[in-house]
Amino acid sequence: MKLITAVIKPFKLDEVRAALLAFGVQGMTVQEASGYGRQRGHTEVYRGAEYTVELLPKVRLEILVDSDDADDVIDVIVRAARTGKIGDGKVWAVPVESVVRVRTGEHGPEAL
Amino acid sequence: MDSTVGTGYADLRAQLLGRTGVPGPARRRALARLTDSWLGELATSAGVNVGGVALVAVGGYGRGELSPYSDLDLVLLHSSETPPSYAQMLAERLWYPIWDSKVKLDHSVRSVGGARQIAQVDLPVMLGMLDLRHIAGDPELATLLRRRVLADWRADAKERLPQLETSCQERAERSGDMAFSTEPNLKESRGGLRDLVVMRAVAASWLADCPHQGLEEARSDLLDVRDALHLSAHRRTDRLNIQDQDGVAKALEYPSRDALLTKVAGIGRTVALAADLTWYRVRRAIDAPVRNTQLHDVGGRFIRRPPRLPLADGIVEQDGEAILARSVNPTKDPSLPIRAAAAAAQAGLTVAPATVNRLAKVCPPLPHPWPAGALNAFVSLLGAGEPMITVWESLDQAGLISAMLPGWERLRSMPQWDPIHVFTVDRHLMETAVQASRLVRRVRRPDLLLLTAIFHDIGKGTGRDHSVAGAELVRDWLPRLGLAPKDIDTVSLLVRQHLLLTDIAARRDPDDPSTVAMVTAVIPDLDTLQLLHALTEADSRAAGPKTWSAWKASQVARLVARTTNALGLNLPARTGELTAAERALLEQARAGAVRIRVDPAQVGLTVTLAAPDRPGLLAAAAGTLTLHRLTIRAATARTLAGTALQVWTVQPQFGEAPIADTLRADLIRALDGSIDVAAALAKRDLSAAPRVPVPQPVIETIASASTTATVLQIRAHDMPGLLHRITSTVAAARALVTSALVDTLGSEVVDVFYLTDREGEPLSERAAEGLLADLRRALAIA
Repeated sequence: MKLITAVIKPFKLDEVRAALLAFGVQGMTVQEASGYGRQRGHTEVYRGAEYTVELLPKVRLEILVDSDDADDVIDVIVRAARTGKIGDGKVWAVPVESVVRVRTGEHGPEAL
Repeated sequence: MDSTVGTGYADLRAQLLGRTGVPGPARRRALARLTDSWLGELATSAGVNVGGVALVAVGGYGRGELSPYSDLDLVLLHSSETPPSYAQMLAERLWYPIWDSKVKLDHSVRSVGGARQIAQVDLPVMLGMLDLRHIAGDPELATLLRRRVLADWRADAKERLPQLETSCQERAERSGDMAFSTEPNLKESRGGLRDLVVMRAVAASWLADCPHQGLEEARSDLLDVRDALHLSAHRRTDRLNIQDQDGVAKALEYPSRDALLTKVAGIGRTVALAADLTWYRVRRAIDAPVRNTQLHDVGGRFIRRPPRLPLADGIVEQDGEAILARSVNPTKDPSLPIRAAAAAAQAGLTVAPATVNRLAKVCPPLPHPWPAGALNAFVSLLGAGEPMITVWESLDQAGLISAMLPGWERLRSMPQWDPIHVFTVDRHLMETAVQASRLVRRVRRPDLLLLTAIFHDIGKGTGRDHSVAGAELVRDWLPRLGLAPKDIDTVSLLVRQHLLLTDIAARRDPDDPSTVAMVTAVIPDLDTLQLLHALTEADSRAAGPKTWSAWKASQVARLVARTTNALGLNLPARTGELTAAERALLEQARAGAVRIRVDPAQVGLTVTLAAPDRPGLLAAAAGTLTLHRLTIRAATARTLAGTALQVWTVQPQFGEAPIADTLRADLIRALDGSIDVAAALAKRDLSAAPRVPVPQPVIETIASASTTATVLQIRAHDMPGLLHRITSTVAAARALVTSALVDTLGSEVVDVFYLTDREGEPLSERAAEGLLADLRRALAIA
């Protein structure tokens, strides 16, 4: 099993969710986040004065999937989240040792 | 012991509760009577029918408020001569048959002295004992305890009532507000049964009384709902859960659960308002026990009363409440309720309940459109922040709000089945206005922000898109208020688009130019954008405690910043054409004289002044007008070929309009220094700070607004002498005012000054910075 984490632009959330649903992903956790990557935020002009936007609003998604599906799910997220401009975000996966569904006590892939 | 005694109770009780028909006071009385006589039999057979012991009911049962599954709160009372072991034995004989009958029992065995002791340290026990009722045994004992407990309560009221208030506040935090909850707790929520008990206890302390209107009915109606809830849930519960609401609504013959919730919310509001007023009186009674009373002549008798302090035209403050001045005639003054409400809220007070009722009874309805001044008072009320809510509630419950704003009635206590919202529609609108009052410095038109805040959701409950319906409805509502057609257009647009910024910020790419174009397509200018931004924040903050996160705020702020750049700067408007009268006055003043005219205006008076321009002229004029107890509502000033022309719109605070010649003489004395205006203002306490918390003033220069002058913009809360303070600070910095635009919108002041130095050039950057710092010091609110 893998935990996929994606940090994407907030306005792309609806599209990513729809694409994941179509792929068959049942659940996810979404958090409001802020941060920056290689672009180190950027400079904007407001009322004639320049100022630096350091932390940009982002959305952070977490999805638990079967190891076999991980690459496909990442691909779905990347395609739905891409605008082609800087700040589109990142997706990564880490191995997960165990998962338990709280209500039923099911373990492992059953609990996904 | 005869074990057959009282076995008929369960059957009789089941029969009584199974009887069809709506629950009501009669059934509750019958249940209490049935229970009393059952307990009486049990007590006799247990031996509680001798001197020195008594069975008493406390709490809800003591008040006869038994719902079908209520606990019985019983105390077996014994005299100090009765051995405790004997009392304990009697108690066991008594409690067992009650337990056997499956009725829930809350029991204790106490001596009179022991019961008093417990009540002295435990507030809930004290409240329960204030409702003590004799059931069986020695009636003298019950009377004795009741008398002692009541005496203790009265003796210690000043210490114990503040504790009780704290416990009520904590309970409200825990259990929420009955008026605005979709699953209210009929007992513990703010405005519920517990608050009614507490108010009785306050009244019993003799320290302060509670308002009485509607409370008995509220109590009875709430108990009806609880009776039906017990029968529907088949257990003891006070929380009106969603799954029980349909059953309860049906049992009480309400058409729907919405109708039931609206009713419960309405009761919650009545009770919560009464509780607020009660605690307000308690605090005053404790904090200000010795008041400066004055002798008043009442029909030839002299009696002592607290002094009356003027608040506004026709309204005075007495004993912490706003009441009518003796000089006003409410039967001929339709805008009096709104003016009283605004004056009270802006002073952080309430309107006295008796005054509200009198106004509701005798004031004629506001004509269509409202008379001049009423709209301003309305905006001032909305801008008062938190204190507005209590004032608004008291007016609303007397029917005065619905009388002013036909259509408001539809929104009252309307529930919102929406996970974001914690408030009913009307309360959400009020909360939005409170939030907006903190954001007024961000916009050029605070009045439009506050009006949009209170009206933005009036399209709810129409079955259509509430933004669209609301935008149409404000076109019906606002002409009545007398708002200018251009401003109605703006409010209607803001209502139509009040979700635009959050929708776009969440769903569109902020880097895409078409995203900004979506905003600029509907928002025509920067002023409107700033209004929409402030409205978006106020609306979101008012929806619930967590809706406006820093994350969401940053998204919206980015979108606004980008749109701002696309829209460019709005420059403050300059003054318009001269009238014939103004031109004539200007001509006369060219010779070097000071000329003044006073004319009646739509609201108050217009004072027109022409004089050779000199530094400090504006400050002297502002100070002189304020000294003459004229409230400055608006002003324009400009200098034409060395002669200054000022047009002031002022309102006499009390009494007669001033005479132009007196004003002129005083202005000349102020100019030559024979009156020290600042000292005179300070002496008359005409420089008082606001009495409600207000946002700090915003004082800024607008870069690139003019090439010939430095443009100074000031947004602040109105207070007596404000303009004099601003203009004298400007004069002290040796800056000349070439033109000025002063406006008061509700209680918010929006001023623009065009300033130059002695050479007629814009101020140097250093001089401008210095002036801004001086002004911030002069206008800071402590």
